[in-house]
Amino acid sequence: MGKIGIIIRREFNERVKKKSFIISTILVPVLFIGGIALLIFMQQYTMSEAKLIKVLDRSGMIAQRLEDNASVRFEATDQSYDQFKTDETDAFGYLEIGDDIMERPSVRLSSFKASTVELESSISDQISKIVEEEKLKRYDIENLPQIMEEVKTDVTVQAFQIKESADDKESSSSLAMIAAMFSGLLMFMFVTIYGGMVMQGVIEEKSSKVLEVMVSSVRPYELMMGKILGVALVAITQLLIWAVLVVVVGSVLMQTLMGDMVQAAQAMQSGMPADPMLAAQMSNLDSETAAIINQVTDPGYMTMLLGCFLVFFVGGYLLYAAMFAAIGSAVDNVQDTQQLQTPVTVVLMISYFIMFNVMRDPYSAMAVWGSIIPLTSPIIMMARIAYEPPVWQVVLSAVLLYASFVGMVWFAGKIYRVGIFMYGKKPSFKELFKWVRYKY
Amino acid sequence: MDLLRVEHVTKKYAQHTALDDVSLTIPKGSVYGLLGPNGAGKTTLIRIINRITAPDSGQVWLGDKPIAPQDVYRIGYLPEERGLYKKMKVGEQAIYFAQLKGLSRKEATVRLKEWFVRFQIREWWDKKVEELSKGMAQKVQFIVTILHQPELLIFDEPFSGFDPINANLLKEEILRLRDKGATVIFSTHNMASVEEICDHITLINKSRNILSGPLDEIRHKHGNNIFQVDYRGEESALREAVAGLASVMEGAETESVYNSLKIQIPCNDDVKTAIGRINERVEIRSFREIIPSMNDIFIKAVAGEL
Repeated sequence: MGKIGIIIRREFNERVKKKSFIISTILVPVLFIGGIALLIFMQQYTMSEAKLIKVLDRSGMIAQRLEDNASVRFEATDQSYDQFKTDETDAFGYLEIGDDIMERPSVRLSSFKASTVELESSISDQISKIVEEEKLKRYDIENLPQIMEEVKTDVTVQAFQIKESADDKESSSSLAMIAAMFSGLLMFMFVTIYGGMVMQGVIEEKSSKVLEVMVSSVRPYELMMGKILGVALVAITQLLIWAVLVVVVGSVLMQTLMGDMVQAAQAMQSGMPADPMLAAQMSNLDSETAAIINQVTDPGYMTMLLGCFLVFFVGGYLLYAAMFAAIGSAVDNVQDTQQLQTPVTVVLMISYFIMFNVMRDPYSAMAVWGSIIPLTSPIIMMARIAYEPPVWQVVLSAVLLYASFVGMVWFAGKIYRVGIFMYGKKPSFKELFKWVRYKY
Repeated sequence: MDLLRVEHVTKKYAQHTALDDVSLTIPKGSVYGLLGPNGAGKTTLIRIINRITAPDSGQVWLGDKPIAPQDVYRIGYLPEERGLYKKMKVGEQAIYFAQLKGLSRKEATVRLKEWFVRFQIREWWDKKVEELSKGMAQKVQFIVTILHQPELLIFDEPFSGFDPINANLLKEEILRLRDKGATVIFSTHNMASVEEICDHITLINKSRNILSGPLDEIRHKHGNNIFQVDYRGEESALREAVAGLASVMEGAETESVYNSLKIQIPCNDDVKTAIGRINERVEIRSFREIIPSMNDIFIKAVAGEL
């Protein structure tokens, strides 16, 4: 076992044995599930509170046709606006519809509290529809309702990607988006949790004064590498435990709820529903969902996606962890890290924003460069990967990412060694770069 | 034979020079004292020997080769600034450091058990370091330093933080290790301990090596030919006897059950004559040279009076 191996072993063992690790491993899924439950509960709670709108309809043809929904309830009234204002009421607002609504399509909504966009658009949609129907009626067309029903159309787009060799494959940008957003978020979470752990680990030797004993036995590079990889193993262990929990619960749910849907989607793509039962179900399944389900169940595609996810996720974590190690190398205690930590987090956030841009246009120059430059590549390449970028770009990006990781660890080691002789002084960025050039 | 040679080592930092053309030779099997006031450059020199930092110019030789990365296995270093991982268990931690110094896990465990028995600290094995007192932790740290049986041991202020009993234990262990063939470099301010255990010293002041050599030789060389005479008889008789050969150190304190006087005999050749004359006039009970203490030499050397 090399020195890095010995260090990894210690870093891993010490962390996994900690109470805080065991507690967070159990607590996070509990909080996660609890959070979702709370969200559902809150949604139901707010839904029961439908807003009451009193409607003064001078035209006499709108009020009775307004439909209540979960968030709003309408009630016709003959109260004047002034009466409504003085009247002690629990109504949310007062809607005034003029008798010239057909000519001048405008209504007036007054409320004690500010109204919401959702409410306004709901009122606007409903009244527009009613007015449109009324206008159509004036043309005296026979069988109007029937005609309206017949012309109603909703076009869905089934996207296919052209392949030279194999059959055209249905592709879904939704899955790509979900994968990219998920990996971006996960990366953000990982870097903040485990990056911080690496940073504190690097400071540990200084605060417990083990520093000089350590550097007389190992090179700072080995120490940094051992810490970063040790914490990575901790992260993987924790993630695996969480994943097992989610998969066990998830697969039970999927089996019971989604089994039929998977079959339906496959039938839809092959174009001929095998049995009439499925065909019926198919119409309920929009093609986007079908495409996603097809991709998820396609082993080749999923292997590619997961493979890239692993390569870039791990690479991204390692690079950012190495940056945190460099920060830890430069300071003596945790309090001094804030100033140096911010730029790292900002870069990560910028990558995340660029990602949304990339999803809109995965072949733009920004997307290509962002997916190759190491600091942004782990997040942005993931956003592009589902759009199948040229292989050389993926390979180049991965190579650059891992090379810069090793470079960053070297840089951190360099700062670490110089920092030994600078007890108690907070370094500026300028000094840090001077340190790197030092012959120690 | 020399184990370690430091040749013309210079090390500059941005603001100051830590070491200025320092050379010294450390004989194999010696206990070598590295002395000097605070900030003289001792720790920098030790760090250079440990390859924690590199000299700007000059070279360090271990045996007959320039010192190399794998030589960390041959060196045991107890820095002045020392500590252990607080949350880690004592035994596990000792094994960890031993592994980093090239021992296998198994070998480290066997050796550690022996040492823990020897130091009577077996019951600490599964304790966390934060549960130990500072002195206890120091003992563990000492074991960790020497466990891989290095040829060269470097102790930077080893006795700070030890009570007299444990300091003595440590002293004995250091001498025992020397007897088994290890070479010890020993940096300290404590001159009494230097006299007790060092056989060679180097005194570094203001980044330079100002005094170097075997301890006895240095002490004799810096003696000022002052002798203490314990006698029975008249003081005036003695004063008359040495007149012209030696000067009496007036008011110098002496401790003796007899009459006693300190005299300085500037010329070595006159010592025999002086003794003869004194012998004729008074009854000599003892006649011995006053060899300066390391403390005196240190203070004088640093003040530039040598």
